[in-house]
Amino acid sequence: MMRRRGALVGVVVVAALLVGRAAFAGPPTDQLRTHIDRVVKTLEDSAVKGDDKALERRRQVRAIANDIFDWAETARRALARHWQKLTDGQREEFVKLFGDLLERAYISKIELYGGEKIQYAGESVDGDLASVRTKLITKQGTEVPIEYRMMRRGDRWLVYDVVIESVSLISNYRTQFNRIIQTSSYQELVRKMKTKQEEFQYEEAKQKRSTS
Amino acid sequence: MMGRSRVEVAVGVFVILGILALGYLSVKLGRVEFFGGGGYPVIANFPSVGGLKVGSSVEIAGVEVGRVDKIRLVNDEAQVVLVINRGVKLPEDSIASIKTKGLIGEKYIRISPGGSERIVGPNGRIRETEAPVDLEELLAKYIFGKV
Repeated sequence: MMRRRGALVGVVVVAALLVGRAAFAGPPTDQLRTHIDRVVKTLEDSAVKGDDKALERRRQVRAIANDIFDWAETARRALARHWQKLTDGQREEFVKLFGDLLERAYISKIELYGGEKIQYAGESVDGDLASVRTKLITKQGTEVPIEYRMMRRGDRWLVYDVVIESVSLISNYRTQFNRIIQTSSYQELVRKMKTKQEEFQYEEAKQKRSTS
Repeated sequence: MMGRSRVEVAVGVFVILGILALGYLSVKLGRVEFFGGGGYPVIANFPSVGGLKVGSSVEIAGVEVGRVDKIRLVNDEAQVVLVINRGVKLPEDSIASIKTKGLIGEKYIRISPGGSERIVGPNGRIRETEAPVDLEELLAKYIFGKV
């Protein structure tokens, strides 16, 4: 009798573990993990290591990012109500500029990656939206919580927002864009983003010339 | 004889006035709404609400558009029920963030409205939320954390 009960408890525990596992890492986490692993691999790849390969490395990281990020959704949410007033051409231009801005701000930071560990701390799916919680653990042992908000497109899950230390990327840019548009105009915002990008490209070209 | 009862009446009136004033004050300060208020409930889940209280204000662009009605624990997350004034429409992609007034002031909820055509209806949910940033914890982490 006792033994049967023990076996039953065992089965229940194993079943619960399996269910727990399945709920823990669903398709959003899996898809995100694949892409993050690819980025880490690219950064550790000796073929594109070193300062002179910075451009090539960044291009590869951006290509992987384009694959998992839905820039159009991020841009739409960041512009909020101002998005509705734009024509299709303007929207396309804005998505491009916004992608460049994020590349400048974040992909260059990713380059500083030096073997920090990434932990997946669980996900929650709610209809077509999901959020995957991860932790970046630095070499000093500091945990930085990073949460990816994802959206289902067919059978793919694409990231539209990143929340670092409970500060949302979209919220940050929404406030800034709104302020610029309200104090001046949308054209002014686009002009600012364009000049920033040109400056960046100029600096980059200068760097390239000095290293080669 | 006559003078004494007049004094008693005056004291009585004074006490009643005092009680009425107290009643008015408690209704005003406690923000009690007798007629069900003029808003609709909206739900938002936060990983933590540190310092937010029932009755805290909900603001859009610094203008109060509602109040926190209930805070409860659901699946280890804080579920906050907001009552939003009628006439204020929240697009579905609005972000609710818990912010602090000033550097060490009280907590409130700031909603930055999105641009979606779909609107969060009564008993709907704001899905994009930001928990409060714990300044002390951040300082400790990034300043003292380095060994």
